[in-house]
Amino acid sequence: MSQAGPHPDGQRMPGREDLRQRIELRIRRLERVSLAGLWSMVLFLLVSLGAYDNFSFLPELTEDFRRMLGAPPPSEMISLALVIYAFSGIVGTLARMSRNIKPFRGLMHMAFFAAFYAFYFLSGVLPDNFWAVFFAGLSVMGLENYYLWAHSKEALQKERELLERLRGGE
Amino acid sequence: MLSSINSRAIVPVACAVTGFVIACCVLLYTFVKSDLITGEIHHAADLADTVIKSTRYAMLHDDRETLSQIIDNIGDQKQVEHVRIFNKKGLVMFSRDGAEVNSFIDKSAAGCNECHAESRPKQKLKTMDQARQFTNKAGNDVLAITAPVYNEPECSNAACHFHDAGQSLLGTLDIGVSQAPLKKTLAQLQGRMIMFSGMVLILTVGAVCALLYRQVFLPIRQLVDFTERSPDDSLDSDFPEVSGEVARLAKAFQKMTARVKELEERQDKSRETSSEDPLP
Repeated sequence: MSQAGPHPDGQRMPGREDLRQRIELRIRRLERVSLAGLWSMVLFLLVSLGAYDNFSFLPELTEDFRRMLGAPPPSEMISLALVIYAFSGIVGTLARMSRNIKPFRGLMHMAFFAAFYAFYFLSGVLPDNFWAVFFAGLSVMGLENYYLWAHSKEALQKERELLERLRGGE
Repeated sequence: MLSSINSRAIVPVACAVTGFVIACCVLLYTFVKSDLITGEIHHAADLADTVIKSTRYAMLHDDRETLSQIIDNIGDQKQVEHVRIFNKKGLVMFSRDGAEVNSFIDKSAAGCNECHAESRPKQKLKTMDQARQFTNKAGNDVLAITAPVYNEPECSNAACHFHDAGQSLLGTLDIGVSQAPLKKTLAQLQGRMIMFSGMVLILTVGAVCALLYRQVFLPIRQLVDFTERSPDDSLDSDFPEVSGEVARLAKAFQKMTARVKELEERQDKSRETSSEDPLP
């Protein structure tokens, strides 16, 4: 870092240019990552919108298809699984936050909560349990996305400061 | 900075606790509701069984007047919305509502199609399958039970010889009870759970906020005020009364400031010395 200042020949140093490009790439990647959480949240809200209407836009499931799927699990079991999943999801995110471990940024939570909607739907008790899945999803995904956003923001700030210092040195 | 720490500490806790408590309350409400409805169904099934047992003697003696009187008396009860007995063909024989006597019921309607959905009607139904919930013409929510009246040896061997032994089902009792008391209980439960959840949320988030303010934000603010004071002020006076990690940080600041002051004094002295003794 002590090599700040223009190159004696008046040309940019190739190593410095490389570093700048790498930082810019990292900034773009971090911006994308911080948006990824938002997309999973939007997707969850869209699935919730369908679930609120008891998936009335889907065609009626045929008897053969239902027979192929087998008997749905009891609603008590689905609810128990939902509570355990939401609890472990929140504890996991809080643990990652306290130890500053890289946040999760996939669509896994969204897929799991969509599966809960599907299970309740197939058991025929979705209207009774919609709000439970919705609030559990909102809290788990909200917390995870908040951490992702805060983590990305912090990393972005560091990268931008580095880029500024690099540009100032040129 | 403080507002940033504030939001970083409180937002995740508030978000996680609020969502989880609401989700758990909704699930708990669903469980309680399901248990109450199951209890109500068993209660209605017991009531139907009592009606069948109390009409048995009148049926065996083909005493239609007594039977009609019993049905009327049961139907007069406040919570009973309807009570009727119809034969195997679906012809209403006795009913609290006189207008529907001698009329046929719709076998495809709810309450009938559990047995009549297939070409060969089911002979036995579980208690939960005998129940149906609907809103009647008066706009009241009703929980109805259809209880079969089976043939018995006393019946097929009776002197009237009206039913033969091969006929397993003689008719069906359909009794509907109002769900208003259940709805009222559920509404009370809902209100109490909302109040309880609100109190839990306020206490949890409030306690976290108060503890963070007392243990973190206030000491940090005092420390910031202390470090921003004029360099001429005494370092020992007004030292913030803090403990733990924040106290260590404050002491480190204090030591650093003392060292900076000492270095500055030493530098000033050496500058004075050099100005008094100019080099030859």
